Formats: sequence, C-alpha cells, structure tokens
Amino acid sequence: MKRSLRTCLSLVILLVLVPLTVYLCARADRKYYLSGLVIILLTLAAFFLRFESRRPQAREVVILAVMSALAVASRAVFAAVPHFKPMMGIVMLTGIALGPEAGFLCGAVSGFVSNFIFGQGPWTPWQMFAYGVGGLLAGLFAHWGLLKKVPAGKKDLAVLGIFGFLTIALVVGPLLDTSTLFMMSNTVSTASAAAVYLSGLPVNLVHGAAVLLTLVLVGKPLLEKLQRIQMKYGLME
Amino acid sequence: MAHFDIRHLTFSYPTAPDRRCLDDVCLTVEKGEYVALCGKSGSGKTTLLRHLKSVLTPHGIRSGDILFDGKPLAQADLREQSARIGYVMQNPDSQIVTDKVWHELAFGLESLGCDQKVMRLRVAEMANYFGIQSWFHRDVAELSGGQKQLLNLASIMAMQPDVLILDEPTSQLDPIAASDFLNTVRKINRELGTTVLITEHRLEDIFHAADRVVVMDEGRIVAAAAPKEVGAALYARQDDLFAAMPAPMRIFYGTGHQGADCPLTVREGRSWLSAMAEGRVLHDTPGEEAPYEEPEDPALQLKEVWFRYEKDSPDILKGVSFSVPRGSLFAIVGGNGTGKSTTLKAICGICRPYRGKVLIDGKPAARYKDLFRGNLAMLPQDPQSLFVKKTVREELGEMCRDTAQIAAIAETCEITHLLDSHPYDLSGGEQQRAALAKVLLTKPRLLLLDEPTKGLDSFFKRKLARVLRRLQGGGVTVVMVSHDVEFCAENADLVSMFFDGQLLTTNTPRRFFARNSFYTTAANRMSRHLFPGAVTAEHVMALLKENNL
Amino acid sequence: MWVGACIDMRYDAFSRCHPAVNFGFFAIAIVLSVILVHPAYLAVSAVCAAAYYLALKGYKGWKAVLGMIPLFFVVALLNPLFNAMGDTVLFSLFGRPFTYESLVYGACIAAMLVSVLLWFLCYGAVMTSDKFTSLFANVIPALSLILVMVLRLVPSYGKKARQISGARQCIGKSGSGTKREKLQGGITVLSALTGWALEGSVVTADSMRARGYGAGKRTTFQVYRLTLQDGVIALLLLLFAAVTIAAAAAGAAQAAFLPSLHIAPVRGALSVSGLGAWGLFLLLPTLLHLREVILWHTLTSDI
Repeated sequence: MKRSLRTCLSLVILLVLVPLTVYLCARADRKYYLSGLVIILLTLAAFFLRFESRRPQAREVVILAVMSALAVASRAVFAAVPHFKPMMGIVMLTGIALGPEAGFLCGAVSGFVSNFIFGQGPWTPWQMFAYGVGGLLAGLFAHWGLLKKVPAGKKDLAVLGIFGFLTIALVVGPLLDTSTLFMMSNTVSTASAAAVYLSGLPVNLVHGAAVLLTLVLVGKPLLEKLQRIQMKYGLME
Repeated sequence: MAHFDIRHLTFSYPTAPDRRCLDDVCLTVEKGEYVALCGKSGSGKTTLLRHLKSVLTPHGIRSGDILFDGKPLAQADLREQSARIGYVMQNPDSQIVTDKVWHELAFGLESLGCDQKVMRLRVAEMANYFGIQSWFHRDVAELSGGQKQLLNLASIMAMQPDVLILDEPTSQLDPIAASDFLNTVRKINRELGTTVLITEHRLEDIFHAADRVVVMDEGRIVAAAAPKEVGAALYARQDDLFAAMPAPMRIFYGTGHQGADCPLTVREGRSWLSAMAEGRVLHDTPGEEAPYEEPEDPALQLKEVWFRYEKDSPDILKGVSFSVPRGSLFAIVGGNGTGKSTTLKAICGICRPYRGKVLIDGKPAARYKDLFRGNLAMLPQDPQSLFVKKTVREELGEMCRDTAQIAAIAETCEITHLLDSHPYDLSGGEQQRAALAKVLLTKPRLLLLDEPTKGLDSFFKRKLARVLRRLQGGGVTVVMVSHDVEFCAENADLVSMFFDGQLLTTNTPRRFFARNSFYTTAANRMSRHLFPGAVTAEHVMALLKENNL
Repeated sequence: MWVGACIDMRYDAFSRCHPAVNFGFFAIAIVLSVILVHPAYLAVSAVCAAAYYLALKGYKGWKAVLGMIPLFFVVALLNPLFNAMGDTVLFSLFGRPFTYESLVYGACIAAMLVSVLLWFLCYGAVMTSDKFTSLFANVIPALSLILVMVLRLVPSYGKKARQISGARQCIGKSGSGTKREKLQGGITVLSALTGWALEGSVVTADSMRARGYGAGKRTTFQVYRLTLQDGVIALLLLLFAAVTIAAAAAGAAQAAFLPSLHIAPVRGALSVSGLGAWGLFLLLPTLLHLREVILWHTLTSDI
C-alpha cells in the first residue's frame, strides 16, 4: 500500500508539480530563487521516494552508504594537495558501477553530509541536486555504453577523465553557480548571469581538473574493487 | 527435542566444487547447551556456523538437512530466524550499522517492527544487563573495541534469541576485553538459558565453560565430547590442535598422564600438581638463563623519549629508555593504552618526540636519509592497512621488481601458494604473513611488529614464530609490542614491561615472568608454587619429567 | 557571570524541544524570510536571527554576525550594477545608470540573504544530525539509515586513511615531497581505503540481515518524545505564523521595487499585528533561552 503510494507520489511530483512550478514561476513575479528551490526539492523528493518504494536491500543500503562516506572522506585524504576535490570523481564512479539511480543518490547524500561538516545553507539542496546529477549522468553514460564499467586501456581512462571534466565544467559547476545567481539577485539579467557564470568558471575548471585526475588515477582500481564486491554480494544472495 | 539437528551436511563452494568444506557433518545441539567449536582456520567452522542461519548461508553445492526445533531451518522465515537465532561475527567495527549506541541497540527491534513501548523496555533492559547505561547516548566511534563487541552482543540479545552463535567474537580484542566478553556470554548461557555455539581460538577462556567441545578438521567433525575427553582424543590422535589446548591440559598429557582427573583451569592444575608433589623434595631449576645486561652496541636505543599528541594533551610517553641488542627478539608487553604502540610510532618518526633521542645503530633516526630503505620497517597492527592491489604478487611487486627476491621472501613467509590470491580472500594469519612479506621487501635490519599475534590461532602463531626465527637467523633485530604473554614467553629473547608511558623492567623471559604473579603465563601461574622458574608449558613438563612425576 | 551564563548551549530550551518543532520553526522562518521581501519584515528577521545566534554561541557568535555586514553591503551595492531599471537615477557608472530603486531592492535582497544565512547557522547549531535522521526515519527509512551510516563512516574512514598512510610511511612509501608525490600518495591511500571499506561493507550487510533488516515494515526507535511543552511551543509558533501569513496575504507585506517603489507602510492594525506576530514568532526561541538563563540564575543564587 505504502509502496505504491510512494511511487505514485514520485510520478505526480515529476510530471505535474515540477512543470506547474515552472509555469507559476514564469507567470508570477519571477521569484527565481524560491521556484528554483521548489523544483529542486521536488526532484530530490521524487528520486528519494522512488528509491524508498523499492524497499532497497541491505547490500544496496550499505554500499551506497560506504561510497557516499568515501566521497565525503576523500577530501581529507588529499588534504596535502590544495584545491583538490576528488568527491565528484567517486560519485561518478559509483554511478558507473552501480547505475544512474545509485549515482544520483550517492551524489545527493554526499552533498548533504559534507554540509553537516562545512555548514548547511541555502546552497544545500542545490549542491545535493548538482552532485546527484553528476552521478546520474555518469550512470547513464555507462548504461549507454559510452563509459566502460571497467576501463581496459589508456583510451577508456582518457574518455572517463574527459567525461568527468566536462560534466563538472558544463553541468555541475554551472548548476551551483545558478544557485549563487538566484541567491544574490532576484531579477536575473544577462549581465548578472554572465558575471556569475564567468566568475565561477575558474573554480569549475580547477574542480573539473581535480575530478579528471581522480578518475584517470583511481578510476581503474576503484571500479575493479566495486566489481569484486558486487560479485561477492552476488554470491551471498 | 534437539535445538539444532544437523544431518549429514555436505557443502562445497562453487569456486572449488571438488573441495568439501563440510563433509558429512552430523551434530545435535540441545537447548541451553554451551558448545565450543574448534579447529584450525579453514577447517569449516565458520561455514558450519553460517549454515545455521539462512540469510548468512553461503552459496554452493549442498546436501543434508538442518532441523531447527524439529522443523527444517528453511521453513523458519527471516523474521523468525532474526529474532530467534542471534549471530555475532568477528569484526567489532564492521558489524555496527548506526552511529549512536542507543540506535544500534534498537536496530534489530526496528527491523522486526516492534512498537515504541516494547522497544523502550527491551532497550532499557539490555542497557542495564550489559552495563551500557553510562554510554547509552554516546557516539559509537568513541567506544573501545571491547565495548563495541559488547554492544553487538547486546543489540542481538535485545531481540531475545533462543540461540546465540558467535564466530570468533574476541579475535580482535585484547585479553582483558576478551575475557570480559566471554564471561558475559557465559553469564547469558547460565542465567537466561540461551543456547550458545561459539568458535574461539582462546580455548583457555572457554574450555572450562563449555558443556561440549566439537573439533573440526578438513570439514569433518573429528571429536565431539566433554572438554576433558576431547583433550584425550586429540592427544591420542597426535593432532596439531592439541597445541591449542589449555596449558594445564597440555602439561597433563605431555607428561604421560591419563585419565579423568585431567585439569582444565589453572586452579585445577595447581591442585593436581600439589597432590602429586606432596611430601617430595623437588628439583626446581630449569637450567640457568644468563641475566640480562645492557648491550654495548645496541641495534636500537631510546633515550628519555617524551611525547604528547597535542600541546595541551597529557604525555603519552614519559621518558622511555631502552636498548635492544643486535639480532634479538625484543618483546614489549603491557596493558592497553599505556603507550606501547606510540613507542613504535615514535621510533618510526610518525610521532615526533619533543624530547629524547632515538638511535638506530648508534645514529639518530632523524639523520637517516633513507630510514625506511634497508634500515627500519614496521608491520602495522592491522595488516590490511598495507593492501592496495588485486593479488598478493602485485602487492609484493609494488615494493620490488625483482621476481627472484619476491619468491625468496614469499618462501620465508610461507606464502608462496597464496601469491595469486586476492589479499582480502586470505585468512587472518595469511594476511599477516603477506603484509610481513611486503614489509620485509624493504630489507630492514630492524623490524617493528605491532601486535603481530592479534587474531591468530595457535597454528598460525607457530608459523609466525618460525618466520621470525628465520629472520633473526638472517641478522634482523625484531622489536614487537604484544598482549600475548604466552607467545612472548615462548619466543622472545628479552621481555619488557611497559606501564604508564614508561618501560619499567627488561629481562629474559624466564626471569621476567617468574617475577610477576598476574602478568605471566598460565603454566607459570599453575606451577609457580613448585617450580618458580618455569614459564612455558615445556619448562614445566621438562621439570616434571626430571622429577619423575 | 550573566553574560557568561547566556553563552552556553545547555541553556537553550528550544534545542531540547522535539526535532519536529525545531525543524518546523526553521522551515517556516526561512521560507517566510524568502517570500516576505519587505524591508521591515526582512529587518526583523535578520535581527532576530542574529539575536538567537548570539544566544546560542555567545561571544563566539559575533564573528559570524559581524561577517554578515560586509556581505550585506557587497550584495546590496552589486545588484544595482546589473539592474538598471528604476526611475530615480542616482549617478552613472561605466555608462550604466545606478538607480535608487534598484539600490533599495539590492539592500532587500542582501538582507534576505543575510537573514537566511543566519537562520541556517542557527539551524546547524540546533538541528544536530541525529535529530534530523530521527525526524525523517519514518518518511524516508532507507535514506535516513544511509545518512546515519555515512555520518558514522566518514570520521572512521578519516581515521583509517591516516592509519594507512602511517603504515605506508613505515615501509618507505611516504607520499610526501613534491606535489606529484603527494597526489600519488593520496591516490594509493584512497584506493587502499576503498578496498578496506568495501570489504567491511560485506560484514555490515551480513550484520544487518542477521538482525532482520528487510523482514518487514521497519519501525523507528524514538529517543525524542513529544512533551506537553513541545505542544505549547508548537501551538504558539503556529499561531504567530498564521497571523503573519494572514496579514501578508491581506497585503501587509506587499512590496514592489521596480521600476518605482511601492512598499506597504507599517501602519494600521493589520500591518502592525502582522509584523508583531512575525517578530514574536522569530523571537520565541531567544525568549525561551533567556527565560532558562534567568531561571537557572535565580535557582543557583537561592542555593
């Protein structure tokens, strides 16, 4: 009962409520920040409800928790290297190994938890969403066969790295900048948008480079380890 | 009616269908019984225990039946099995799911869908019974290993199981925490009538408590009887496992005695010895050991080393001084949290002392350019900290490209047959030796070992001792920190007592342990009133023979 | 003595309320602060947030509160640069008009940002992770369990990572030196850590299933219980919020900025009661805190 209710609810959210919010936002006095926030919260809720309605098994829960915790803890591992944020790299690898949904959830959870450490703020939902989308995209690309589940050679690793870089520079970073834009000014003009996105560009490029390095350097061993564990879990079932 | 009735259970893993992990196992466990399961690692103990709970049962080829309360186990659903069959595993940390003590206690009850009232009562009961109230609201991360394992036990007992299955629950704990834990298990068995099935390599601690001991070898049950009878059977079979029996029992059979009055505990051993020795004058010197003298040219020397973690935190090391003679096996014993491991870290420079000197071969450690190449190396407490690769061979390859050298080290550490396995697929003792091999590839002249016998059974301990002796033969000086009194007594050249940030005394094992009355071996505690200088079971046996007892 | 007593989180009665009351308060406070873009309402919100944050943190809170002032001015002054609408031109900058209306609007946006940030800081101090997870355990059971697990694992992985790099240092693989070596060292530690963590996850999954995870509908053990006081506070908060919303709906918080200012004046019963209710709503946690401080002060001086 509750199961189907959650599924229905998530469909209603995605198909009715989100478009409705976009419409209302366009019609009303353009409260960008608020409507952006509502859209994001609704999307997150839809994903979460879908996951819950599946009644995930113990191993799914554990492996998601482990990968999210690794993603959050990875920053501390590289404390000696300035500006090196490998978190999204691990989120993407999770998406590749475990699928788009797991990628999204891993990103959203790591975004949320890292804010428990660095402080929650109005950016939290945006971060959860942006990181989630990064993991989701990686999962989708792997699902379509564009990214290898276990990279065989240098070429696969290069593709993986470039994918990571572009996803950060073109999707995740700009999404985060959008939250800054909406927060700082309620009326969005071309000029203010250009200013925010351009000022965010260097940060996003550095972030993207870090993710590229992470994927190229740890991509293969991590994916192999994930595959081994999935086989181990398979034996357990 | 038997609680568990295992009938002709045979099992093999799909990866090795020809090797029977369990081979025609027949066993009944009565209600309220305390059954100890022992055997070498790889004898099928864990596989057997996992068959007693359907969710944990491994995949593979299986025949035979398991009846639980007279019905096939598979007929009991997940809910019933979760509530009625409790299962505690080895690793205290990985078993914990949540971040708070209270939440962990309630986890099983939450899964069973208990309502608030029931949960509150049961959780309160368990917190009381296990003495957890004072840390009820704490983060799990603040607990010690012993407390964590107690929490795991409590959170299972909260579901009020009829059977408690424990798979080497104390292998990661220090001796004091381990015996606390085992006492609690015994209390549960006696006060609540919960059936207990336990595997354990600290046999001394459970032998006297067990109603029945089941011995497994190569997937078969080779003996299942009362503890005393099992000892006799193993001695008769000349089984390797006899070496794992409690010291009083080993001494009893080792000196040619037979019969039902075999002692199991130190107390029984003492009275047995006293009765035999009554009215006799005993020859009690087990051959002199040269007294310990400070070496003139030590391989390692610490002079007044002081250390604290932070500026305002208390001192951990309070003037540690000692010298280690070249080529010796130097053991540092002492309780938890006294600073033993920190001393090793200070030698390695992971912890920088704020005062004092660390001299390696007479030269300050800080002045070595390549300290960890050919001079000094340390085997960490958790050997898994060193594993990065997919196979043991690749692990060793990370250190050195020379295959001949790798092969030689693998031979020394007795891991040649494991080179192509995944490091995490090895047993605890094998992981230990694989990590040791990795460490040895730096060709150290001084090797530091942090709790090298943690989690090892007696068989692997003997293997480790052999490896260490081989290294000593090659001129390596070994310094080890250990809780394992028996291992140090048998294998060390020198033993030191660490307490409160200082090294108190150093002496040869016999002189060292003979002077202590608590911190000493079971053999010594059992026989000190007759043979004050005897420390190991071998010493006692030799003396008994000499006196024709 | 008095000021010293205020500093302590232990005196914060609101923190000891049920998580649902905490969360509800912050959700309403933040959402209304974003919606009610009216100078008076925003000022009240910012001041109340600062007051509560100072009550929670004492002297240490001043750093964050004072840090908001430059942020306020930066955002307030930047907005008009990108927004040339507005009738009253103050001056021109780089050929773009800098208007009075957009300056006021910018100040409002800045005040909104500052008050939201301050409320989030209070939220961080009051809504601890275990309150959050226990509150949402019934709504999103699996995710809240994941959250609980992650919160436990993150510090434990940090500790293990240090252990691994220490162990590697002792076999001559230090991972320090040049940037490249540091990076390589970090990569190896991360890889070893992942292997260790994933192998441990198999045990955790076993342990969960052994304790009946997935056996049916889960319930949640609640350490936080709703008390009568929680009910009273919740009722008061709801009442104040309702009055605020009603007043706002009736136009008391109406404000249009561009191209010309139309800001509802704070005059008349409706407007004053709306603003008053908003202030009372936001001040309630601070008032509870002060009440507690006074209570303990008199109690201890009696002894």
